[in-house]
Amino acid sequence: MTMTETTLTVNGQTRTLDVEPRRLLADVIRQEFDIAGVHIGCAHGACGCCTVHIDGTPRLSCLTFAVQCDGRDIKTVESLGGFDATHVLQLAFKSEHGLQCGYCTPGFLMTLVPYVEENVARGTLPSDEDIREAMSGNICRCTGYHGIVAAVRKAIGDQIGGGQ
Amino acid sequence: MKAENPRQIGARVQRFEDTRLLSGAARYIDDIRLPNTLHLSFVRAQVAHGRILEIDTFGLEDIGYPTWVFTGEDIGNLSMKAHQDYPEMQYSEQPLLARDVVRFVGEPVAAVLAEDPYRAEDAAELVFVDYDPLPVVGTMDQARDASIPPIFEGWKNSMFVERQMKGGDLEAARAQAAHVIRRTYRNQRQAGVPMECRGVVAHYTPGDRMLTVWSSTQMPHLVRTYIAEELDLPEARIRVIAPDVGGGFGIKGQVFGEEVLVAWLAIKTGRPVKWIEDRREHLVASLHARDHEHTLEAYVSDDGRLLGLWADISVDVGAYSTFPFTAAGDPGMAAKVMPGPYDFQAYEATFRGFATNKCPIGTYRGVARPSAVFSQERLMDDIAREIGMDPIAFRLRNVIREFPYKNVLGFTYDPGSYAESLEKIRDVLADDIAAAEASKSSATTRTGVGIACFVEQTAHGTPDFTRRRVPIETGYISARVEMQPDGTVVIGLGLQSHGQGLETTMAQVAADALGVLPETIFVRHGDTLTSPYSMGTWGSRGGPLGGGAVHMASMQIAEKLKVLAAHEMQADKDAITLYGGRAYVTDNPDRFVEIRTLARHALRNVENLPEGMIPGLEAEFSLDGPRDGTYANAVHAAVVEIDVPTGKMKLKRFVVVEDCGTILNPLVVDGQVRGGVVQGIGSALFEHFVYDAECQPLTTSFADYLMPQAPEIPDIEVHHIETPTPLTPLGAKGLGEGGAIGPAAAIANAVSNALDVEVSETPLKASAIWHLSAHLRGEA
Amino acid sequence: MRPSAFDYHKASTLDQALALLAEFGDDGRPLAGGQSLVPMMNLRLARPRHLVDINALPLDAIEIRGDALHIGALVRHERYFTDPLIAEHFPAFLEAVHWIGHPTIRRHGTMGGSVSHADPTAELPSVCVLHDALIVAASASGERRIPATEFFLNAYVTALEPGEMVTAVEFPLPSGPTSGAFMELGERVGDFAIAGIGVVLGHDGNTITSARIVCSGARLVPVRSADVEAFLVGRTLADPGAQEAGRIFSAAIDPVGDHAASAAYRKGLIKELTRRCIAHAAGKASA
Repeated sequence: MTMTETTLTVNGQTRTLDVEPRRLLADVIRQEFDIAGVHIGCAHGACGCCTVHIDGTPRLSCLTFAVQCDGRDIKTVESLGGFDATHVLQLAFKSEHGLQCGYCTPGFLMTLVPYVEENVARGTLPSDEDIREAMSGNICRCTGYHGIVAAVRKAIGDQIGGGQ
Repeated sequence: MKAENPRQIGARVQRFEDTRLLSGAARYIDDIRLPNTLHLSFVRAQVAHGRILEIDTFGLEDIGYPTWVFTGEDIGNLSMKAHQDYPEMQYSEQPLLARDVVRFVGEPVAAVLAEDPYRAEDAAELVFVDYDPLPVVGTMDQARDASIPPIFEGWKNSMFVERQMKGGDLEAARAQAAHVIRRTYRNQRQAGVPMECRGVVAHYTPGDRMLTVWSSTQMPHLVRTYIAEELDLPEARIRVIAPDVGGGFGIKGQVFGEEVLVAWLAIKTGRPVKWIEDRREHLVASLHARDHEHTLEAYVSDDGRLLGLWADISVDVGAYSTFPFTAAGDPGMAAKVMPGPYDFQAYEATFRGFATNKCPIGTYRGVARPSAVFSQERLMDDIAREIGMDPIAFRLRNVIREFPYKNVLGFTYDPGSYAESLEKIRDVLADDIAAAEASKSSATTRTGVGIACFVEQTAHGTPDFTRRRVPIETGYISARVEMQPDGTVVIGLGLQSHGQGLETTMAQVAADALGVLPETIFVRHGDTLTSPYSMGTWGSRGGPLGGGAVHMASMQIAEKLKVLAAHEMQADKDAITLYGGRAYVTDNPDRFVEIRTLARHALRNVENLPEGMIPGLEAEFSLDGPRDGTYANAVHAAVVEIDVPTGKMKLKRFVVVEDCGTILNPLVVDGQVRGGVVQGIGSALFEHFVYDAECQPLTTSFADYLMPQAPEIPDIEVHHIETPTPLTPLGAKGLGEGGAIGPAAAIANAVSNALDVEVSETPLKASAIWHLSAHLRGEA
Repeated sequence: MRPSAFDYHKASTLDQALALLAEFGDDGRPLAGGQSLVPMMNLRLARPRHLVDINALPLDAIEIRGDALHIGALVRHERYFTDPLIAEHFPAFLEAVHWIGHPTIRRHGTMGGSVSHADPTAELPSVCVLHDALIVAASASGERRIPATEFFLNAYVTALEPGEMVTAVEFPLPSGPTSGAFMELGERVGDFAIAGIGVVLGHDGNTITSARIVCSGARLVPVRSADVEAFLVGRTLADPGAQEAGRIFSAAIDPVGDHAASAAYRKGLIKELTRRCIAHAAGKASA
């Protein structure tokens, strides 16, 4: 087993590590960067809990090896709205009850933030069907998705005006 | 002035815990990281039933890093015991690591420790176990077969338990009946699947001789008691902490062998030990649920009155009895609740729990009630069909209307809204019912409407567990409320919040009693060191009993604040009201003292307290459930559209009319209902834990074990009727499980309605729907 | 559920990647999107000793080369949706990709990865077989083109030799007007298919001049039916005999039955999806 030197930037913090190639990005973010907002729900790419952004794009950190991310910019839920959770989508999750136990929540947020931004940029409020398709790779066991769909609708609607 | 401090109970308060959960600041079990930790990986049984011949750890000798291995021979008699002490129950126990025999695939056989979780997993793979296969008891039919030996030595048959319940004169009902309708219904085996798997971290510190155990559990105090008893340790020296818990749903409402074993390993190795369950372990070996088969026979008069019910209830409870609700829990609960919301006074049930070579089953949201209601409510539709009545009209003819109502088994139902709920749903669904009728002319696209009407015993307390002789023994929930010198409040709550929003709702309850804002109240939970002894969060008891305990304890402090305020303002105690952070002399907005001033006086400047008043502002209250609990009720309705040629079904609409008494926070209540409903939809349509004939599990990942995703689910419409109960301090009934109880029945009834067939089992996957609609394709 | 140990090699050229794969043989696997391979590794169902990361290689072209549409192995699924060449020439392909996984998987999963993984219920292997695509397999000793019908040997088993990797898939351009459709049925959105049907109809005016049909999910590899294809040729778009074609295809296949669906159901589904798919493709062509 060869350790591989890897430089990662996570939420603005850059570190160069000697990483065993098999280490999942999720584990390295959690253990080496002490960031707890990446949750592992299934470790086989089927629940979306571990979604992070790599160079701005959502990706499952349980299907990514840290060594693949040399030089890449990684963002986790902590980067969205700080510990006050002030991002527009975080606030909407709160007001629309889009979370209960919170375990899947970072994954949903990281999946849906770009989706919200794209729709706001386009100035369109997507259909509920479209919103549900956008989150189809994320499983929530608590909310029944109702509050999450409402939160996405609200976050987009509030920003483009004429909302709900 | 009321506007300054609006009533918090009933308000749509956004949850305080959300900021932590949304921002990444929450800390779940895998976030508990201690220096010098050993990571545990299990070697688990790969055969369903076999005698262990040899455990070969030779491969670990030259692995190149330190490992520790423990097997059943190393742990003495440590085991999980969950027995109900009555003659019809056969005794079993599960060693924490299998000794001699394994009884289901996934049973822990050896514990392998290493200093890194990847390496622990590598090392566990190098442990080889050789088995002599034993005959597999794979199904309830095989368990009934006397020629196949039971999985425990010395058992007289393959049943953990077989008992009866009866009330009234069933012979008379049978004799009077114009219609006798007999049906068999089945619900599949499921896994519970919170998004966070289980996990345990334990650490023993010799300095204070303290064992600290972190576990992703719903019941930290019971975990503490079990560990203390099994490891023979003083309970005062054990602290169990449930950190943020990523969903439980009853699956984490058990004490597990891993919790005891990890604690033992931490003591044994002198180092922190950590076990994080992986998803495959969770699906295969954590805890299963359902797997019921019910045969019912109903006796009905010619004018459509239910006269009596006979029930034969069988549950495949798997290989072991689980603590504290036991192998009798599911079958007994099914028998107990089968009479449901209907008015009849003759009933006889036999219930049994079969021992098979499968993962043990235990409590999962609704426990036996989703299955009982499935059978009950499928039966109501099948009867209505057979006697030519509209299903809602048939229910309205039989539903209980006078309260309190003593049911056939002697349980007293407090007031509910059974008939009103049915009438409400009939109004809401009028257009869908008409559309379903119209679709009957189509052989290709059918619409169906189905309902499920049910009553749910919630807030079970000690009397209920005593009657059933369940090892949980008791059912109270405690809360300790402490006002600090600055007027802020800490609540030590005996509940554990894993998504229910208790940090908010319990603060709302205390806020109303104390006249302060809920934001100034900090709810601590899930830690045996900071919360009074209590049974944890399960059984839809948080709102009615936890809320009640917080209310009662807070009222004691409020009383003391009033005495103090009256003393300071030279007024009559009964004239004092608390609101907006102040104690007012009633009718005079200018005569008040700040509550924080009173708190300071009570805790710091105690020299001016009234004569005889003891310093301090704290109170504790333990609230037990009413004798028969309190009965929430609901009607669920599903509207489905079926593409007959392909069997593809779309759930078009799902409506709930529910009555949980006083609503503490509508945001939270609606969330609980909707989340429960979607789990129920999973039970109805997708979720099936499948074993092959040798009891090898086939659905061991999320590629095979299918749960609802967002696109399959419609918005869930929720309507409320509030009938407060006189039996709990706030009038609240439980509602955490109700959402999951009705969907399987409602959806199956909708399919039955759409296809004009009887539906006898779940899950209703596309394949099942296609087979059920054969007659419409001219194939049957 | 973490992978067993391996060495990681990031290839910057195709030659380098192929040299590494040649060196490692059976112990080496190329790593692209990781959406199929890494789950298998986490479950320890796959245990490559060496991963050759090919993500930096210039294998992401979608372009016409000669008389075929060349799709590089590293083309991510989400690009199919907006690619004008796929839309113009391969309507069945375009319909099929709507059934692939979830957004995050489509964003990272690749053509080469899906084809190499050879899941019998996946869409792209079926699409390849349907279009008589050629799988371009490269190794240190050269390049060969394997017809899709000969590439998929069994569930998760392909004709790739040790040291070989897929660099592209070539879809022969249709020689005349064609229409196509793809339909499948899964339990949930994004699930693998219980059964799926793809069809391509070449036509001259109203007359069907060529036909290809494929079924996924029913057997261990995508299945074509010469009988159905022969039946369709010569019929008209207005009356393609979709129902009868469904009957023929259904009768010709002996599908697997498992806990997800009975064999009888898969047979029924093949019949109905074949009918719908042909009717849909014919309808689009004559519209």
